Amino acid sequence: MMTKVFRSPARHGYAVEVSPFVPSRVACAAAQYYGIAGCGTLLVLDQTETGICLVTSWQWGDGLFDVAWSEANEHVLVAGGGDGSLQLWDTANHSAPLREAREHRQEVYSVDWSQTRGENLIVSGSWDHTAKVWDPSLSSSLTTLRGHEGVIYSTVWSPHIPGCFASASGDGTLRVWDVKSAACRLAVPAHRAEVLSCDWCKYDQNLLATGSVDCSACVWDLRNVRQPVNQLLGHTYAIRRLKFSPFSKTLLASCSYDFSVRFWDFSRNQPLLDTVEHHSEFVCGLDFNLHIPNQVVDCSWDETVKIYTPGCLSAGPHGTGL
Amino acid sequence: MHRLKVISGHLSHRRDLRRSDCGARAAASRGSEDVVVVHGRRSAIGKARRGGFKDTTPDELLAAVMAAVLADVGLSADKLGDVCVGNVLQPGAGAVMSRVAQFLSGFPETVPVYAVNRQCSSGLQALLNVAGSIRSGSIELGLACGVESMSLRPATKPGDLSSRLLDHHRARDCLIPMGITSENVAERFGVSREKQDAFALTSHIKAARAQSSGLFDQEIVPVTTRLVDDAGSERQVTVRQDEGIRPGTTLEGLAKLKPAFKADGSTTAGNASQVSDGAAAVLLGRRAAVEALGLPVLGVLRASAVVGVPPDVMGVGPAFAIPAALEQAGLTVADIDVFEINEAFASQAVYCVEKLGIPLEKVNPNGGAIALGHPLGCTGARQVVTLLNELRRRGRRGFGVVSMCIGTRMGAAAVFEYPGPL
Repeated sequence: MMTKVFRSPARHGYAVEVSPFVPSRVACAAAQYYGIAGCGTLLVLDQTETGICLVTSWQWGDGLFDVAWSEANEHVLVAGGGDGSLQLWDTANHSAPLREAREHRQEVYSVDWSQTRGENLIVSGSWDHTAKVWDPSLSSSLTTLRGHEGVIYSTVWSPHIPGCFASASGDGTLRVWDVKSAACRLAVPAHRAEVLSCDWCKYDQNLLATGSVDCSACVWDLRNVRQPVNQLLGHTYAIRRLKFSPFSKTLLASCSYDFSVRFWDFSRNQPLLDTVEHHSEFVCGLDFNLHIPNQVVDCSWDETVKIYTPGCLSAGPHGTGL
Repeated sequence: MHRLKVISGHLSHRRDLRRSDCGARAAASRGSEDVVVVHGRRSAIGKARRGGFKDTTPDELLAAVMAAVLADVGLSADKLGDVCVGNVLQPGAGAVMSRVAQFLSGFPETVPVYAVNRQCSSGLQALLNVAGSIRSGSIELGLACGVESMSLRPATKPGDLSSRLLDHHRARDCLIPMGITSENVAERFGVSREKQDAFALTSHIKAARAQSSGLFDQEIVPVTTRLVDDAGSERQVTVRQDEGIRPGTTLEGLAKLKPAFKADGSTTAGNASQVSDGAAAVLLGRRAAVEALGLPVLGVLRASAVVGVPPDVMGVGPAFAIPAALEQAGLTVADIDVFEINEAFASQAVYCVEKLGIPLEKVNPNGGAIALGHPLGCTGARQVVTLLNELRRRGRRGFGVVSMCIGTRMGAAAVFEYPGPL
């Protein structure tokens, strides 16, 4: 397994996302002092034949915990920070953010840019227990969604249903929201511990996965949420983030406080496909490359961003041939 | 420091099981239905025809280890649901010999016993048979044993076979002498004489180190027996140490040995297993029963597999059986701390280790059959005892594999977990 590595000295990675426009481009949200104190950095990176090089970077006064690329403009990204702010950045503008929005009263831990056709919205999730939906210029929030009884760690737009996003919270629930009616459509008591991450299946609009402090990941079918479709056991500490593959319906990846990234096929009897242990600290950021099948990017508190194709995906049923 | 508190909260849960519980069968850890190893002991391994056990019948060897295992843990023999004995060379796999051994060891008549022969894996097969009886619900506790006196029963003819075996090349290949199958493995897979000799040397070095540092003392049951010396007079001896280990072995010495099976071959008396006498016994039980009796848990049987291989290269067995057992356990080679792979021949052991990409330091850390000897029916049970003692010495939860090639042209493997100190 060849791995490309980018080192970000004194910056601890929190989130990575591959550009939806440029296959080689990756954004990474990072923070000084493990995000406990100090400032933040937003990195834009390009992978080359042999490694990863820095395209541009911006400093922010507080740690940056999540990042999302615009689905409409290849130069634009949004980041969420420890100071409750969202910032809109432009790779063509090297000094300051295009816009900064401060409405959340506590840390913003998640941002996501909608990708359903004809819709161009940002959603943010905060430790102030609210999620907010924004227009793409971040002028002011369009709506604030209340209902979670704990901090929100993750907010992700449905790739299928317009105006619909899911959120994962410290209150142990997964919630599904309808933005038009500004209401929670479904609250799933997903884990008996904090839920740190959620993601939608790209091939079935009813499937969602959650990752929790209880070390397990669960796959849910929204038509029957009394019990998960599958429970994925293997991580030895909390699952910090999980993502469905853009290429395979039943494939997902999870990264964890146990320093590992694991790959799963939840349709199999033994779902664990691979455990990648190439970090020496908590692994917080994870994304699949949309353009290069089976390529994965992750980032860790060990001050590295890594791009690789895990062994389990480089051959066999999950190989590029699909 | 609100953030510190929130993130500390993320670390509030930890799954106890590292590695094993990867969504696989091993995930069912600590189940009350687990088949667990309570305890195991073995005799020293004697040199056949020249060593301390050359005049000792196998029932005596067997009785010594059977009695020692139960005495060690203070278990009354009437609690045993069954006793299975692996044996190769006695008539009928030593069914009568086993029943006699049971009485010599003081077990009551009500305890049943039987014998099993899967050649070189018989000692492991005995354990798997007992495990199967526990899983099926027939018994709660059982004793798995292995014994061989190669002094008193040299390898015999294969028995009555159809002349039609000549028409079937696989069947015919089953009559190829073991030494020639070793030459076949060496030739076909390019295992050089130098590699084989180097492997044999490390077996002696590791075994000598284990012996001199007393690592085997806790697993070996001293056996007091009688032997007839060269002058023809009978005397009593107590055998406490493996007799095959040669601490002074050198590469030069090994290189001088003539091929044993084929003029231009590479398998010698120095890089093949030794002909030996010995016995071992392992107490198994259902976890619920074991815990109810207050007995310790030394290991947990996690998976096992027996796989047939091409008869002319039977030594490749472990290269097929180990992956099959690991897959069942949901583990990989990297998850295993110690491999006990029987050294029938250095050729096949080297091939299997390289084929599976096992780091050499994980293989037979206390030597193998080249140094210790290979009392056929005993070996599998002996390996389990040595493996679990080694894992226990390491003092932390770990996994081990016992594997061997089988004279009837197969490979066997079993995966054990040492649960860690209490």
